[in-house]
Amino acid sequence: MANSLATGLTRDAVAALSHHKGEPEWMLQKRLHAWDVYESLPAPLGRRGDLGTFRAVANFHFQEVSPFIPADINGTLPAVIQQSLHEEEALVNERSGHIVQRNASIVHIELDEALQRQGVILTALDTAVHDYPELVQQYFMTKCVPVESNKYTALHAAFWSGGAFLYIPKGVEIEQPILSQIWIDSPASATFAHTLIIAEEQSSVRFVAEYNSAFEDERPSFLNDVVEVYAQNEARVEFCNMQDLDQNVWNVTNKNAILAKDASVTWVMADLGSTVTLANIGATMSGNGSVAELVGVFFTDHDQRFSMKTLSDHAALATNAETLVKGVLTDQSRVEFEGMIRVRPKAQQTASFLSDHTLLLSKECRSESIPSLEIGANQVSASHGATTGQIDEEQLFYLMVRGIHREEAERIIVQGFFEPVLQRIPLEDLRTRLRRSIVRRMSGAYETEADTWVDVQERWEIEGVDEYAISLADKKSEEEIQLTEY
Amino acid sequence: MESELIIKNLHANIEGKAILRGVDLVVKQGEIHALMGPNGSGKSTLANVIMGNPKYEVTEGEIWFKGENILEYSPDRRARMRLFLAFQYPMSIPGVSVANFLRRSLEAVREGNKPLEEGENPSGKMVKRKSIPPKEFRNLLQEKMRLLKVDNSFINRSINDGFSGGEKKRAEILQMALLEPEIALMDETDSGLDIDALKIVSESVNALTGPNLGILLITHYQRILNYITPDFVHVMFNGRIVKSGGKELAYELEEKGYEWLKPVEEENGVSVNG
Repeated sequence: MANSLATGLTRDAVAALSHHKGEPEWMLQKRLHAWDVYESLPAPLGRRGDLGTFRAVANFHFQEVSPFIPADINGTLPAVIQQSLHEEEALVNERSGHIVQRNASIVHIELDEALQRQGVILTALDTAVHDYPELVQQYFMTKCVPVESNKYTALHAAFWSGGAFLYIPKGVEIEQPILSQIWIDSPASATFAHTLIIAEEQSSVRFVAEYNSAFEDERPSFLNDVVEVYAQNEARVEFCNMQDLDQNVWNVTNKNAILAKDASVTWVMADLGSTVTLANIGATMSGNGSVAELVGVFFTDHDQRFSMKTLSDHAALATNAETLVKGVLTDQSRVEFEGMIRVRPKAQQTASFLSDHTLLLSKECRSESIPSLEIGANQVSASHGATTGQIDEEQLFYLMVRGIHREEAERIIVQGFFEPVLQRIPLEDLRTRLRRSIVRRMSGAYETEADTWVDVQERWEIEGVDEYAISLADKKSEEEIQLTEY
Repeated sequence: MESELIIKNLHANIEGKAILRGVDLVVKQGEIHALMGPNGSGKSTLANVIMGNPKYEVTEGEIWFKGENILEYSPDRRARMRLFLAFQYPMSIPGVSVANFLRRSLEAVREGNKPLEEGENPSGKMVKRKSIPPKEFRNLLQEKMRLLKVDNSFINRSINDGFSGGEKKRAEILQMALLEPEIALMDETDSGLDIDALKIVSESVNALTGPNLGILLITHYQRILNYITPDFVHVMFNGRIVKSGGKELAYELEEKGYEWLKPVEEENGVSVNG
């Protein structure tokens, strides 16, 4: 059966996939509708004179990838995935749930029993289609990331497979994070991973999604993922995403959250890998008093191309948003950033801030940053700022005069550049993992540098303040100075 | 044998403009030299050129340290030979904690340099170096901080970021204490300090002096010499050292100012190197 799903993306392949999964008619129809939308929409090509990320994706050879790689769910998992399941290797050690998608299928699910008894549901979206059809029909690609959003969301809706479905009933606060992993270990494959999170009133969760790949092959694979978050009244959702795909994977990602009254959503986006990434990340603040935050970190090298669009959409009274993105480029990589703050006419008392800072390490890399504001209300506090620059030669000289090699000095300055934004990431394991990845990505670096960085940021403690020590900031009294006798 | 810094007939330009015009100076381990002179005489330039600041171009002369001509060496290689510069205006580096920076710096200086191979870049190769265990480093840093009476909270702050003038200068001395240089250049360490801060900084320097440390103390004012006693005093004018003597020269300068030392050629409008 599975083998009948041949290479290439076609309407027949959509129908065959749905049939293979034994889906109800409504999902088949949704998929076929999505395919028609996909066919009817032109591929987005970006703006004239931009850095060409959209055009690159439009030229991807979609007919050479296979949209469904069947997985033997009962078989053994590849070593890399096995390893990542071990507690000490995992991004999140203490967790209340864990779901793993390998290519097109969910291969591992676990959820704390107490949470299960409280009505929390963590399952494959494939399963939810059968078990919770009314929830899926109501929430799946309807309001949050509608099928019609763009050509790639339509393609996603036609071919999605596997998927993580998380439902948190009213008032349930999940303390330990839930870890979701997406593994791509098949070349020339297309993975359409979906994450749907419904957080009912006054519930809370920290969801950590990790994207990895593990295959050695020239033939690129394609990950087209969608994340939808519904945060109902006073719900709190934190979504941390670590994208560390190898540079033979293309990634198109669309993520959005809808926030009801007094809800809060935090996006933490760490993009390190992939050949090309097209990212759309948004927060729709449709409830009064809702709060959205986006913290983004990226590091690009070689020929990587990223295009990131963020949207803070203020559609209610007294909403609050902050977007902070910091990234480093090197080699021939290119990054385009477009950050939008939209304040709709009735969204009075909005406060919204956006900043984007990039550091260029090579002469060949290029970055472009376009922050914009669309303001339809009059009681608004909104601002944006963007900077792009190179490493300061005077700072380098200062570090080198302390014996540090030029390359290491550059790396130290890069660490300093990232550190303030890393401090905003609530999860220590993720911060540590990011520091290590950043150091590893900088040529010539040794693992000990990462250790030092992590150590001083996370574990540095000085025991006992010396009672004779005087604060550098304080004025010194004569008496204290006389204590100094040499 | 003590280390020697030997400067011979050093000439240097910045953006084509001659700043150093034939400096000769020898500083040995264990000696304290004060280098005085009016603003713009080239004192800070000399310190920067000795450390290899790429902003300056050396047009003539030699710099020898520990028997090697270091003119072609990169700043970091010079530092790993245990040559030190306390900056007049230390750079702030946001996001990099003092602890992180100092540990790497200490590891690099302790690792030292491998001999250069034929045709190798004079900064040397970056090699995997021995790392200092966190606990050992912490203890060492705390010891130095106690010696200099520096507050612990300081090490978690970003390098010089938001530091007051006095804090920056003390941070430089702390680095000097930790890295144990053989020759230290101290560029206007006294500038911008009020009298209390000046005392603290001077006491700190005195705590570090001894047979293993040679100091070139660059200063515009005589007042720091009330706290740190030099063995030699040099006066720089217009890119050259025009007078050298013992500590009594400093007192003479305080009384008479710099004017009486101004080279005669200058008064006649004739360039020194004519």
